Amino acid sequence: MVDPSVLDPSMVAANAKGMIAIGAGIAVGLCGIGAGMGEQAIGAAAVGAMAEDEKFFGKGLLMTVIPESIAIFGLVVALILLFVF
Amino acid sequence: MLKTTRMTKVVIAGTKDQLEPAISVFHRLNVLHITDFSKETEDFKIGRPLKTASKFSEYLLSLRAISNQLGLKESESGRITKSGEISSDIDEKITKLQKEVSSRFDELRNIEFKLKEKEDLLSSVKPFFGLPLSLDSYSGYERVKVFTGYIDIDIESRIIKIHSNFELFVGEHEKRKIFALFIPREFEREVQELLQEERTYVEVKVPPLKGNPPIILDELTKDISNLKENSNTLRTELDKLKEEYSEFIIAADEHLSIETQKSEAPLRFATSANAFIIDGWIPSNKFDEIEIELQKSTGGKVYLTKITEEIDEKEIPIELENPSAAKPFELLIDTFATPKYSEIDPSLFLFVTYPMFYALMLGDVGYGLIVTAIGFLIIQKFKTGGLNALAMILLISGLLSTVFGVIYGEFFGFPIFNLEFKGHFEAGILGIAGPAIAGLHLPVHRFESVKPLLLLCFGIGIFHVILGYIIGFRNQVLMHDLKHAIYTKASWMMILIGGVMAIAKIMPSLMSKSPMPTGDPILMVGSGLFIIGVILLIIGEGFISILELPTLLSNILSYSRILAIGLSSAGIALAVNKMSMNLMIKPDGVLMGGGILLALAGVVVLFIGHVINLLLGILGPGLHSLRLQYVEFFTKFYEGGGTKYLPFGHNRKYTEE
Repeated sequence: MVDPSVLDPSMVAANAKGMIAIGAGIAVGLCGIGAGMGEQAIGAAAVGAMAEDEKFFGKGLLMTVIPESIAIFGLVVALILLFVF
Repeated sequence: MLKTTRMTKVVIAGTKDQLEPAISVFHRLNVLHITDFSKETEDFKIGRPLKTASKFSEYLLSLRAISNQLGLKESESGRITKSGEISSDIDEKITKLQKEVSSRFDELRNIEFKLKEKEDLLSSVKPFFGLPLSLDSYSGYERVKVFTGYIDIDIESRIIKIHSNFELFVGEHEKRKIFALFIPREFEREVQELLQEERTYVEVKVPPLKGNPPIILDELTKDISNLKENSNTLRTELDKLKEEYSEFIIAADEHLSIETQKSEAPLRFATSANAFIIDGWIPSNKFDEIEIELQKSTGGKVYLTKITEEIDEKEIPIELENPSAAKPFELLIDTFATPKYSEIDPSLFLFVTYPMFYALMLGDVGYGLIVTAIGFLIIQKFKTGGLNALAMILLISGLLSTVFGVIYGEFFGFPIFNLEFKGHFEAGILGIAGPAIAGLHLPVHRFESVKPLLLLCFGIGIFHVILGYIIGFRNQVLMHDLKHAIYTKASWMMILIGGVMAIAKIMPSLMSKSPMPTGDPILMVGSGLFIIGVILLIIGEGFISILELPTLLSNILSYSRILAIGLSSAGIALAVNKMSMNLMIKPDGVLMGGGILLALAGVVVLFIGHVINLLLGILGPGLHSLRLQYVEFFTKFYEGGGTKYLPFGHNRKYTEE
């Protein structure tokens, strides 16, 4: 363990900044995985529907991006972490 | 605007001798949405097609076959032919075309078949060049069996083991060893087994021809070139015919389609022994005009009557009606669902909000201009249809993105104006400080102003959702009653407004960990509204509706995507620029300091990066802006499920009456 009193203030600031960056990365990454899991089922179904009738392309594409909200929430959290804090 | 076109239910009745003129008039006017007659009674049966129907469809069939054989494609810019001109000699022309085209086409096919045959022969003769024998010497023996094929090993030594009485010829073709073995039939089986065990053996069949391979080859080549010449002549002749008749074929196709449509129309009418009745809908404002036209063409013998009682709203066909600027956005409505007759048509709202969301997300002068240009080019190529509408939407969105690009001060991710970013100075492309317009100091740098922009997005979201509830309230009042509208829509509005007021007061004190401003009037009113809203909701929709409350929160939070997608697009552009700049300017601000190769790599990175970001920039904002409309906005009021208005008629492209 490093004695905190030994660290100089610039290192502490840099450390905090790094933690924020890691947090932002985790937020985006985990949300991306979640969104991907949601999209895979919808995407597969949309491709199936499109194979039946090509007119479903528009609707299918739209349905597929609906779970993307989750990824975007993660992105927003990351942005707030990076820019607002 | 906002409302769909008002429709009137009509019944058209007349004697059977007036059927044809009546069909003609309605087809020309292209306004009557026919309700198909289906319930046959003793007196009224479904009509029979006009006598001309079979003739026309027969012509159409042969014409389509001809145009198929000629490989004719529809062209956008065709001459417009008079319909009468076509029908005067359509008979002769089609017969003539059929004769000329079909005979040539059949011959061409025949020649191509022969050509294929000869070419196959040619390739099967070639291997025998390696052997010094005439082709007829390989067959016609009673007691001798002939084996021919490729093989890699020396087979002579092995065959000697079977029997010494044989003759073997060995040669080479395309670097592979080819052999011909003549051996008495008694040993056929043994040789067969020997060859089968040898993996490099490939049998080569002797073509059924006579003579020396070189001579045969000469003859075949001559035949082939003759056939090719013939097929070329036929092709040029067909091309000439295609050029000469393409206009006629395209125009006649349209003419015949129209005539077939007309002569098959009675299948949708009710007819008795001597009369006919057509049920349908016409736009209310065109009623007088149609009545006059019908009078003129049928001498007053066909009657047009308005029906006002017993109207089922579900039956009314829906025609969207919008000013021409908002017209392209009807495509987005149609993709979702056709509205009901009494519902608001939201195209006009989309016209305002869709490009705005798009532009807030993309917001870059460079990308905006490219998107505008793409939209413009597509419009030039496709004058009508869905693609044209889509391109119009893209064009409007691109233009607005350029405007927001100026506000954000971004050009392909490079700053347009000088700015201070995170404490250090960055020179813009223009080299000047941003101007201040109407109190807004440009540029509003997106990375610098995340917090205010995020609040702006939530503000837009709250406004947009409330707008949706207001429209929903209006629809509910019309479709049900005021009480229902208050329970289902006004309650949600109260919850939303009250919730926003309360949160606006609670959040800052939570963030700064100061005590709650419990006595604040705004907080009190907000909480009150929220509670009343929840109570109304429970009365109207039951206790279970409490579960829906978080949806509202996620709806509003969803609008943060406007900022998030914009920032990620700007971030990618920034990263691409930085990477390529590091490659091009290295080290320490010297252009091409890292050598020409690194600089070139920088250019490639810059190009590919921006192309990818541009594609993402069209797809991302386009889809997410649409999603905000469909999921957040439409769910507050839109039901849909109407039938589209499809008037009886045809949009003529190549012909006129």
